[in-house]
Amino acid sequence: MTSRGRRGLFLTGAAGLALLLLWGTAGLPDFGDYQHLYGLTLNAESVAATRATNAVAAVTFDYRGFDTLGEEFILFAAVLGTALLLRAQREEEEEPPEDMAPDRRPPHDSDAVRELCLGLVAPIFLFGVYIVVHGHLSPGGGFQGGVVLATAPLLMYIGGEYRGLRTVTPEAPLELVKGAGTGGYVLIGLSGLWFGTSFLDNALPRGNAGDVISSGTILALNLAVGMAVAGGLVLLLTEFLEQTLVLRSRSRK
Amino acid sequence: MDPLIPLTVAVPLLAAALLAAFSPFVTRRVIELSSIAVAAAVTAMCLLLLSGASEAPLVYWFGGHMPRDGLALGIAFVVDPLGAALAAFAGVLVTATLVYSWRYFDAVGVLFHSLLLIFLAGIIGLAISGDLFNIFVFLELLSVAAFALTGYKIEETGPLQGALNFGVTNTVGAFFVLWGIALLYGRTGALNLAQMGETLAGGPVDSLVVTAIALLATGFFIKAAIVPFHFWLADTYATAPLPVCILLGGVVSELGLFAFARVYWTVFDGALASSHEELRILLLAAGALTAVVGAVMSFAQRHLQRMLAFSVIAHAGLLLVGLGLMSPAGLAGAAVYLLAGGLVKASLFMCLGILQHRLGGVDELRLHGRARHMIFTGTLFLVGGLVLAGIPPAGTYAGKALLEEEANLLGLSWVTPLFVLVSCLTGGAVLRAAGKVFMGWGPPPGHSGGEEDAQVGQETTVERDRTPAVMFVPALVLLTAAIIIPFVPGLLGGSEAAAVAFADRPAYAGSVLLGTRHPITEARAHEWTVPTELIAGAASVIGAVALAAFTLRRAPLPQKALGKARTGAERVVGGLTKLHSRHIGDYTAWLTMGAALLGGALAAALL
Repeated sequence: MTSRGRRGLFLTGAAGLALLLLWGTAGLPDFGDYQHLYGLTLNAESVAATRATNAVAAVTFDYRGFDTLGEEFILFAAVLGTALLLRAQREEEEEPPEDMAPDRRPPHDSDAVRELCLGLVAPIFLFGVYIVVHGHLSPGGGFQGGVVLATAPLLMYIGGEYRGLRTVTPEAPLELVKGAGTGGYVLIGLSGLWFGTSFLDNALPRGNAGDVISSGTILALNLAVGMAVAGGLVLLLTEFLEQTLVLRSRSRK
Repeated sequence: MDPLIPLTVAVPLLAAALLAAFSPFVTRRVIELSSIAVAAAVTAMCLLLLSGASEAPLVYWFGGHMPRDGLALGIAFVVDPLGAALAAFAGVLVTATLVYSWRYFDAVGVLFHSLLLIFLAGIIGLAISGDLFNIFVFLELLSVAAFALTGYKIEETGPLQGALNFGVTNTVGAFFVLWGIALLYGRTGALNLAQMGETLAGGPVDSLVVTAIALLATGFFIKAAIVPFHFWLADTYATAPLPVCILLGGVVSELGLFAFARVYWTVFDGALASSHEELRILLLAAGALTAVVGAVMSFAQRHLQRMLAFSVIAHAGLLLVGLGLMSPAGLAGAAVYLLAGGLVKASLFMCLGILQHRLGGVDELRLHGRARHMIFTGTLFLVGGLVLAGIPPAGTYAGKALLEEEANLLGLSWVTPLFVLVSCLTGGAVLRAAGKVFMGWGPPPGHSGGEEDAQVGQETTVERDRTPAVMFVPALVLLTAAIIIPFVPGLLGGSEAAAVAFADRPAYAGSVLLGTRHPITEARAHEWTVPTELIAGAASVIGAVALAAFTLRRAPLPQKALGKARTGAERVVGGLTKLHSRHIGDYTAWLTMGAALLGGALAAALL
């Protein structure tokens, strides 16, 4: 197809699709006019039932915790898939980087960037842990906190400590953390089958609403997701850094 | 509640996580054996569920959140016989693939096995979930695993391009599905299929309902490769590693159609009951177009993997015709055809894998006569072609016969000729390839055009002397299964009964929301060995053999006799080939246009 024909086909289709979407959206209830029993019921009962003061966490990790299991595994599969696509090939060898501009000196490392980044590593790590363990009390949780946790090693890289980064993030323990977090979600689900009535039943003691140790499996699931997300993202980060820092052989077929 | 139900998904997922976590500490053999054991155990669990669900659908509420006064609060799995059968079928294929790939990859890591188990869990979840958002989650889960698996051969550009096309188009499909879910949630305030169906059944059919079904249909049809959403499939399946193709061609494309059928019959059937006739015309037209385009393109290929890829598209079209009959008998026929067709396609992909393993390529012209000594694989491939064409009394024949009988009852007499034509072309293509590759028949390859060489992917010159038993035996077992399906006691009648339950929306809603028990009663399938069907089956096979023989002849026919017909056919094929440009921008343009057209057609049909 010529690029003109392609553009014509796409624009005509897109115009039709836009009309369809606008027309369909017109059937939605008006803004602020929410009357559905499902949402109203969960809003009314979730805090008392789960002891999680964050109703969103109650829905994602209790009422619809099984969806979240699937979502965690989507992330897990994406990390596995990326590792599969970025894996070292047989004919690839690590090469020392080639100096493209030997006549110019590398810029001096900025001490300000270095100090700031390295200084932030510990607070960011602590903040990530805070977000993970307070998921059932306030906005946040395992997914968000896991991403924050994974930022700490990224700061080390930006601060110029790639070698230090590789020492604190060796691959095998990271795989274990990710696997334990991902498998842990399933195991917590199975504990519901064992101690309670069904898979992902919130069968742990729920404590008092508002306490850090409360809401039963919601906290445990957040911890599992936090581990899986943090481990998975750091693995992704190192996979990509290895691609750029180690030059691949240039023989392309 | 039966704890077996959540375990069918939890076990493969847990195994995938454990395999990945402990991969640095165990040997390759341990990984291979344990993943085969897990897949086989999950298959057995699905079969147990199938026997339980054959009496009445089984409902499982996660987290113990049972519905309260008919209001669904949590997520439910609703195991009906058709869903359980699909799950078990996927289990069989994944187990067979794991056995088959024992020797296929030189350097297969744990990643392949983990991803296959995740993929299996995704299919099972999709097959038995009773919640629309949960279906979306599992569809994405199996898609993400599939994107990575198709790009496994990273040293070649073709597979990466195929995987990229797959990833982009199918993610766009996911957006359509999600948008449809959002609209329906805005209207019904529910995600449970039964609950949505109950709410919609009592309300009007307006712009929102029409748009929602159009968006969901577009998303699911992209996954199922229905024309004009099908372009990605040929590129992806033609370049993916063959063990992955076994699964893709055997069951994955059909999942989009299954999801559409499930959502239609649980959510929309009540609201759209008065528009059956209009919907039928629309679905039949889309199905027939897909079947013809896929079949013609399949016959025009010389790269065997691409040929089978188009065959998959043709089959998706026939299955959509089956769904489009909008009746339980049509569903039952489609289920039998899905099973038999999936088995034979998986077996044929396995044969291609053997060719690739032994001779280092799957190009019809390059392999001309080079596989003469591979008698067993050749026989398997030949029989596979005949089964693909629907030779009586194989399972593919039975499925088509059930569909044709139902179509005739509905007064749709054009369905039988369509099925015969598609069978001739797809079966004939395989038979022609068998003649060339395994017998050395037909004109020896001369100078091939430059454009056709683009079809040939990376071919290696490695030759091996033996076919490993782990590759041959699964292919033989799957093909045998495809043939004996109609003779499995209770299978044809059982699928009719299962289809009646599948399409009974009020009963489904009752068992999910109120916990009432709706036993599945015995049902009799249509007769599938009546003379008219046997004639149609024979015509398919004779036609396929004749087509293959015609292309395998040594002496060129006199130009005058066939001149006009021939240039006409060449023009059609040339035009179609041009449309399949392998340009992702073209595909996206077609997809957008298709979505708009489908939305417009549905608006015209339903309002």
